Amino acid sequence: MGLVKKILLSVACMSLAVAVAHGAGTKVGYIYVGPKSDYGYNYAMDQGRLYVEKNMPGVKTVSFENVPENAEVERVMERMIKSGCTIIFPTSYGYLDPALNVAKKYPKVTFMHGGGFKTAPNLGTFFAGIDDAMYLAGITAGSMTKTKKLGFLAAHPIPQVLRNINAFTRGAQSVDPAITTTVVWTGTWSDPGKEAEAANSLVDAGADVLTGHVDSPITYTQTAEKRGVMAVGYHADASKFAPKGWLVGAAWNWGPMMAKIVKSVQDSTWKPEHIRGDLMAGDAGLTAFGPSVPAKVKDLVLAKEKEFKAGKTKLWTGPIVKQDGAEIAPKGTELAMANLEGMDFFVKGVVGTVK
Amino acid sequence: MSEFDAALGGFLISALRSSTPLLWVLLGEILTQRVAVVNLGVEGQMLAGALAGFAATLATGNPWIGLIAGVAAGMALSSLHGLLCVGLKANPFASGLAVWMLGFGLSSFYGIPFVGQKINGFKSMPLGFLERIPVIGTLVTQITPTVAMGILASPLLGWWLYRTRTGLSFRAVGESLSSAKALGLKTAWVQVMGIMAGGAFSGMGGAALSVDYTRNWVEGMTQGRGLVAVGLVIVARWNPYLAIPAALLFGGAEALTLRMQTSGVPISSHLLHTLPYLASLAVLVLSYSRANKEGGTPAGLSAVFSQSQ
Amino acid sequence: MIVPLIKEPPKPAALFKQPFRIPGLTVIAAALGFLLLGSIFFLMVGQPPVATFWAMIKGAFGDGYSLSETLVKTAPILLCGIAAALPARLGLISVGGEGQLYFGALFGTGLVLAIPGAPMYAMLPLMLAASAAGGALWALIPAFLKARMNVNETITTLLLNYVASLFVDFLVYGPWKDPNNLGWPATINFPAAAKLPALFGTRAHIGLIFGLIAAVALYVLTARTRWGTCLRLLRSNRRVAEGIGLSYGRQAILVVCLGGMLAGLAGICETSAIQGRLQSGISNGMGFSGFLVAWMAGGDFLRIIPLSLLLGGLLASGDSLQLFAGLPSSAALVLQGVLFASVLAAGSLKARKGGDRV
Repeated sequence: MGLVKKILLSVACMSLAVAVAHGAGTKVGYIYVGPKSDYGYNYAMDQGRLYVEKNMPGVKTVSFENVPENAEVERVMERMIKSGCTIIFPTSYGYLDPALNVAKKYPKVTFMHGGGFKTAPNLGTFFAGIDDAMYLAGITAGSMTKTKKLGFLAAHPIPQVLRNINAFTRGAQSVDPAITTTVVWTGTWSDPGKEAEAANSLVDAGADVLTGHVDSPITYTQTAEKRGVMAVGYHADASKFAPKGWLVGAAWNWGPMMAKIVKSVQDSTWKPEHIRGDLMAGDAGLTAFGPSVPAKVKDLVLAKEKEFKAGKTKLWTGPIVKQDGAEIAPKGTELAMANLEGMDFFVKGVVGTVK
Repeated sequence: MSEFDAALGGFLISALRSSTPLLWVLLGEILTQRVAVVNLGVEGQMLAGALAGFAATLATGNPWIGLIAGVAAGMALSSLHGLLCVGLKANPFASGLAVWMLGFGLSSFYGIPFVGQKINGFKSMPLGFLERIPVIGTLVTQITPTVAMGILASPLLGWWLYRTRTGLSFRAVGESLSSAKALGLKTAWVQVMGIMAGGAFSGMGGAALSVDYTRNWVEGMTQGRGLVAVGLVIVARWNPYLAIPAALLFGGAEALTLRMQTSGVPISSHLLHTLPYLASLAVLVLSYSRANKEGGTPAGLSAVFSQSQ
Repeated sequence: MIVPLIKEPPKPAALFKQPFRIPGLTVIAAALGFLLLGSIFFLMVGQPPVATFWAMIKGAFGDGYSLSETLVKTAPILLCGIAAALPARLGLISVGGEGQLYFGALFGTGLVLAIPGAPMYAMLPLMLAASAAGGALWALIPAFLKARMNVNETITTLLLNYVASLFVDFLVYGPWKDPNNLGWPATINFPAAAKLPALFGTRAHIGLIFGLIAAVALYVLTARTRWGTCLRLLRSNRRVAEGIGLSYGRQAILVVCLGGMLAGLAGICETSAIQGRLQSGISNGMGFSGFLVAWMAGGDFLRIIPLSLLLGGLLASGDSLQLFAGLPSSAALVLQGVLFASVLAAGSLKARKGGDRV
């Protein structure tokens, strides 16, 4: 993975120029689980698509939204292939196994799945370690909280969500180990009504910083502002919805990475691998800080960010203790990749249940 | 204020907030079903109301205009249901589903530019000494106009339905089309009125959700609330007075499932989320078993109709 | 002041008793209405109507692949459509297709997980039987409440839908989650012995055959047998029918549970043949699509077949709107709404002209 990072950084800026020479007639298909105008995960992915289309002359894209994470997506992929797509980005986690099925059927098409952990000769995966950014956001939240209680509202207990909850909590606990994060599951990626009420119940339970992992950060950010508590965003910059309480957010920037992937397919240098971008490559990172965050806290966070970027610190280094007190990674060791990509536990200090 | 008071007040306002969009739709569907029409399209009407309300608030900066726009959009869409199942005597279930799809589809389609926009909701109302009373203080400081209006609308509508001539005409049409016709009522007109009233209220419910409750527009944001409201009409026994308890039953259970999670109960969230549905089911069954014990035929208002039968 | 409860307003079910005919002329009127309104919509969003409609038709029936994908969609709609139409024979309005579909999938999957090593000749029949039992069992709750306490079946089936899908969520996120699939909430992949046979090497599967058989069988049974007469009598005049010894409650349980069995079969077909494992959200709203088709068909079992095919085609060809016209997914929903409004309006106009309505 280290190699990938370096390539990403150096190639991202050159890709534009090289693409002009090579990029004739490639058609790329994007598949999203929700509406591409969700101001969240799918919106961020679609911004990546627009970046590719804008910066790579000759590359055409098509997109398909609101495709459920089940065998439905197989039909959508086949249609895309039949319409001439040679690269497909199934961007949602649940598309992995269907994509593997279709990949077997069409060996000449390249599949780049978002966030999975399996490969095939013509299927690789891409993602970015946004949990580093969530850790940094956790440091911010941990420095700002007065009640020592943070609130996290989340849709479904899947690995990517659990990683963010744990990263956020560990970040906060690096400031004060007594801090806890209370989790409320809304059971759906997008239900603003439920999100508003989940945010309210977290505030009533004493949380004074809210964050979440649902489609769009708008509702809980606004609710936090209304109730006079602080908010940390996710997926997209929602600072305008909480002019007073906004602390910071974790957001995506897929464009350069996607352009690089498309480019590597055109050059036939593409390999089926797990591409994982990160803070350093700028694929995922922090948004701007809100006005209430003092310089001291900003410095603390930015110093840690520097350590991450330099590779001095790894987020998932032990000791990591599970909610029930069992140690899953002893001091000095890194959490196993399978435990990371298939995370199914809460760390100590999280209030809630993973089931 | 003690912690307990705050928790209780917090739960009460939370239950009221989650119930409010449901309550508006429920009141509307009660009116529609009172004229013997079922409208499954309320889900689509809510979405139309939510989008129109959000867009109008964004354009004018005034949430009251947003609510009015929501009402208008709900009514406009419901008129299609009126045309299909009263004008053309089409099957009301199929027609309702067509209205649902159109409302969902059109609102999602034309709602795209409004995603990620910011509107200003209602300002909080200063209530002075009320805010210092335990429990009630928590309630009143967080109450918003659509919640308060919903609480008022329910008894007003009950009074209108049971105590006025126009209310009587609604009930007459609902009891028997032919006898209502014999009484000289324009039954088709009354039915269309009932459907449009349902449209207005469901549009209001949608606007309450987008303009007041969440201040956000997301496609499909009603998430089945309209359909649940159609079911809750039976829990409320077609009675506007009972709409608040029926809506509170569901909304309160929903608020409770979220609140139980914040206290860290070790129960699967998926099982917890079944609570609002199971609670509604339990109350429904209980109400039927009680009705059967009492003979199932409540007297009172139906006497008004017995003269004409 | 508490106002006494009023007795229930007359059931809109009365409206279903009216005859519903779609002769040739109506089909043409509906098609013209749909094409006209659809064209207006396409023009409004800046798409050429003729080319877009043509792309849709090709996307639904244009080649073998498209046709097979249409049939994939048709199968569950057909089964769930019958599951809604059968109770309607007794004037019952069941919207429980979704929940019954989920419970059929759940029971069938439970059996597969219980005997994963069983040979195919034992596995498939047992799995199908279990799914039918699961659907019937979930339907039994509203059926029993209706038969014994006269609890409105529309709301009970509606509420139980949500409970069923949440219960499946609970299982696939919890006890049934495949521990080796990196936290993805789904059961293990079904063993080869538990895969229902596909048709012509496509994704279209045997569920379609089940649906066709059920539609024809029920058509014959309700039209030609004493049972059919019994249902008609019970619906048109329950008091008289009960007077001659027919049991409304028993028949209500029978038709609702039979419907549940069919929806349950649809559930295991989606799980085994299409999905290959049980996971969250497998229904894709097919239970409601079935309900819609049942009412569009006026409860006629044979008419459900072409209407399911039409809706299946529309759902499968909605793809082309996104792929070729670049429209958002909601455009397909708008078109569906336009189509059903046109069919309804045309059907009613014809009925009026023919004077067979009150």
